[in-house]
Amino acid sequence: MNQRPRLFLVITLLFFLLPVLILAAQSFSAPWRFPSGSGLDWELGSYEQLLQSPMLWKATFTSIWIGFIVLMLNVVIGVFTGKALTTVPLKGRPWVEALLLSPILIPVLAIAMGLHIFMIRAGLADTVLGVIIIHLVPTVPYSIKIFHNSYQQIGRAMLEQPHILGSGFFRQLFTIELPLLKPALRSVTFLTIVISLSQYAITAIIGGGRVLTLPLVFFPFLESADASVMSAFSLWFAVIPVVMYTLVEAVILLLPYSRLPWRNKR
Amino acid sequence: MSPTTLEVKQLKKTFQEDLILNDLSFQLNKGEILSVVGPSGSGKTTLLRVLAGLESPTNGSLWMNGKDITATKANRRDISLVFQQPLLFPHMTVKENIAYGAKVSKKYSKPKIERLMEAIGMSRYRDHFPSEISGGQQQRTALARAMATEPEVILFDEPFSSLDPALRQDLRYWVRDFLVEQKTTALFVTHDMEEAMIMGDQIAVFQDGEFQQIGDASVLHHSPANQKVASFMGGHLILNENEFVPLAEIHLSTLEGVETRTFKGRLEHLTYQHGRPVAHISVPALASRVALPVGKFTADTEEVTLHIPTSCIQRFEVNHHE
Amino acid sequence: MKSFSLKPYLLFLPSVLFMLLPLYGLLTAVLNSFGRHRGWTLDYYRQIFESKRFVMSLAFSLQTALIATLLSILIGLVLTRSFYPILEKITPRVSVWIPMLFPHFVWGYLVILLLSETGVAAQLLTAAGWISDPQHFPVLTRDPHGIGIILTYVWKEVPLVILMLLPVYASIRPEYYALVDTLGGSVWNRITAVELPHLLPVLMETSLIIFSFTLSAYEVPALLGTTFPEMVSVLSYDWFYGSSWQKRPLAFAAMVSISFVLLVLSFIGYGYLNKARWRAVKGNRS
Repeated sequence: MNQRPRLFLVITLLFFLLPVLILAAQSFSAPWRFPSGSGLDWELGSYEQLLQSPMLWKATFTSIWIGFIVLMLNVVIGVFTGKALTTVPLKGRPWVEALLLSPILIPVLAIAMGLHIFMIRAGLADTVLGVIIIHLVPTVPYSIKIFHNSYQQIGRAMLEQPHILGSGFFRQLFTIELPLLKPALRSVTFLTIVISLSQYAITAIIGGGRVLTLPLVFFPFLESADASVMSAFSLWFAVIPVVMYTLVEAVILLLPYSRLPWRNKR
Repeated sequence: MSPTTLEVKQLKKTFQEDLILNDLSFQLNKGEILSVVGPSGSGKTTLLRVLAGLESPTNGSLWMNGKDITATKANRRDISLVFQQPLLFPHMTVKENIAYGAKVSKKYSKPKIERLMEAIGMSRYRDHFPSEISGGQQQRTALARAMATEPEVILFDEPFSSLDPALRQDLRYWVRDFLVEQKTTALFVTHDMEEAMIMGDQIAVFQDGEFQQIGDASVLHHSPANQKVASFMGGHLILNENEFVPLAEIHLSTLEGVETRTFKGRLEHLTYQHGRPVAHISVPALASRVALPVGKFTADTEEVTLHIPTSCIQRFEVNHHE
Repeated sequence: MKSFSLKPYLLFLPSVLFMLLPLYGLLTAVLNSFGRHRGWTLDYYRQIFESKRFVMSLAFSLQTALIATLLSILIGLVLTRSFYPILEKITPRVSVWIPMLFPHFVWGYLVILLLSETGVAAQLLTAAGWISDPQHFPVLTRDPHGIGIILTYVWKEVPLVILMLLPVYASIRPEYYALVDTLGGSVWNRITAVELPHLLPVLMETSLIIFSFTLSAYEVPALLGTTFPEMVSVLSYDWFYGSSWQKRPLAFAAMVSISFVLLVLSFIGYGYLNKARWRAVKGNRS
C-alpha cells in the first residue's frame, strides 16, 4: 500500500508540476541551447520585454473586464437555473438538462459564425459587449451544471426551511443559498475565467480584431518572440485566474454569516 | 371553550390519480395540541405540507383566526413546521439559527432569543455550529427556531424519529411541557401511538385520507369507532367488522358459569414486556395474530384456546363511513 | 395548483434568454449553409464533400478527436480509480488540476517548448548524448499524425476527467464493496456491479464534452497542426475569415456538418442514459 502515494507523487511531479516549473525556469532565463554546452542564464529580460508592451497591459485589462462581466452573468444565470432545476417540477427533466448542456456540445465556432451577422446588425460586432455575449456560450453550461449540483446537495428540504420561517426570495438567496453555494462560486469563478481567457477564434470573429484580449496578443507573439518571452507570457495567463479567484474570495467574505477570522467569537 | 385558531374545511388533495386527503375537516383551539397518528405512507406529511403552505390543496379552505389563508404563501403564514430532520443552517451558529427565524418574520428581540436558548438549555452552546452538537440538541434548536417566529400554530412532522429511543423518550416530555408552558397551539404527526398519546390532548387516527376518529386516549381505547382505529390501537382482538373484545378480557383457561365464545390458537412466542410475559398467539379462524399479556403462564403445549366471555364482546360505535 | 403555477418557472427566464444565443447562432449557420441569401441550394454541401481537402480533414479530425477523447477518459479513469483516497486531500487534488489553470493554447505552447525538435527534451537528450543531433528527435509537434494535438488535449483533459469522476468515487459507499465481497465477487465484479453504474452517466457526458471540444476547437490545432491534413475547425476558420467572402457558406456547411455529427452522438448518448435504469441510479426524478 505504501507504493501508491509514492507513485502518485512521481506522476504528479513529472506530468503536472515539472512542466510548469520548466516554463517558469525558461521565463527567467535566456532561451536554452543545451547541446552547445550553455547552461542556465538567469535574467529578467523576458519580463521586461513583455511588461513593456503597451498592448499586453491593454489586453490584460480588457480580458479581466470581459472575464469579470462574463462571470457575473454566469453566476446570475447559473444560480437561477440551478435552483429551478432543483425545485421546480418538470416533465422530461433529463432532456432539459441535456438541452442546457448542449451549447458546449455544439461547436462554439459554428455558433459564433452564425451570430456574427446578427452581431453586425445589432451593432455588437467589434465591441466588448459582443465579445462578452459570445463568451457566455462556452461558459454558462458549466456554471449551470455546477450550481445545479450544489443546489441538489443542499436539498429541497433545506430550501423550504427558510421559506417556512418567513423568508422572502432575495433574503433567502443572500442569507442561506449563496453562503451554502460558496464552493460552487469558487469553481465557477475559476472555470469561467480560464475558459474566457482561452477563446481566440470566437473573440477574433465577434471582436473583429478590434477587441484586443490576451489570446489575440498571444498568437501573433508566437511568430516574433523568443522562448523566454513566450514562457513569461504563458505564466501571465495563469496569474489572471489566481488574481480573480482572490478577489472573488474577498467578495465571498462579505456574504452574510461568513466567518471572518478576526470576528471569531469562540 | 377557547377560540378557534386554525380551522380546516373539506380539505382535499390529489396527486395525479391518488387521493391523499379526502374532505378533511377539523379545528384547533388556542393552546390545544392535536396528535395525528397513522401508518407510514398514509399522507400525514402531505397534510402538514398543505397546512404549512408548501403544497396547495386541490379543494377546500384553511382559516386562521377567522381569516381565509388558503392562498397565502408559506412565508406569510403564521405557521411553523419542524421537520423529521432538524435542518439547521450549517453555516450559522445555534444562536444565529434561532435568531434567523425571528429576524425574517420581523419578530426579533434579543431577550427573546436569550430566553429561548435558556429554555432549550442551549445557552452554553450558543456559538457552536450544528455539526458540533448532538442530534437531540439540534432538534431542540430547530424547535426554538420555529418558536422564535412566534407562530400561531406549530406543526411537527415526526420530529423524534431520527433520534435514538432513549433520547426520544426524554425529548417527548420536554417538548410536551415546553409547548404547554408556552401555550402553543400544535399539531403533532407521528406513526407511533404511544408518542401520539404522550404528545396530544386529543388524538386523531388518520388513515385513507381522513380522520377515522378524534378523541383522547381513553375514548380511543374504550370505544374505537371502527376496525381501523381498533387495529391501530392494538388493544383489542377484532372478531369481525362489527365486534371486538379488549385483550384484557381474553382468558386462556376455561371460565366457569359464564357464556363464552372460544377460538383455537397457536402459541408462537413468549416475550416479556414491561415486566410481564406476553403470549403471541395466532388465531387461524380470525386470520390474525394477537399479543396477549398473561399473568402466570406455564406453556406445555403450543395449542391454546381463547375463551371470551360473551358479555365482554363490544360493538364498534355506529360508523358513518360504512 | 391554479393560483401559482407559472411563477416558479420564472426562475428559468435567464437560461431561456441565454439559450436563444446558441439556438439562434446554430439556426443561422444552418440556414447560411443552405445558401439563405443566394437562393436555397445543397451546392455548398456537395462542394465540400466532393473536395478531397475537406473529406481528408474530416477524417483526420474525427480520428484525432476520438483518440484524444479515449485516451483522456482512460488515463483519467485509471488515475482516479488508483488514487482517489489520496485525491480527497486538497494539495494532491490541486496539483493534479494545475493544467486547468492554463488556456488550451498556452498548454499547447508548453508542449512545443518541451517536445518540439528544438525543444527542451530534444536538447537535453542531445546534451546527454542519447541522440546526436536535436533534429533526430521524433517529430511530435506540427506533425501530420496529430500527435502534438492529441498530446496537448490529453494533458489538458485528464484533469477535467479527474474533476468529474472524483465526486462519483467519493459518493460510492464502501458498504457496496463489502456487499460484493460477501457475495463472493471479484475485483472485476466490484467494477462492473458497483462502480460502472455510478460512473457510466458521468463518463458518457464527459466523453461527449471532450469529443465535441477536441473535434471543433480552433486554437490548439492552429498552433500544433500542419497544413495537411488539417483539422476541420482550422479549415472552416480559414474559409470564414479568408480574403474572399465567397467561401463563407463553405465554412457554414463544414461547421454544420460537424454539429450534426455531434448532435446525433449526443442524442444517442442521452437517449441511452435516459433509459429508466440509469435514471434510477441518478435518483433525482422528483
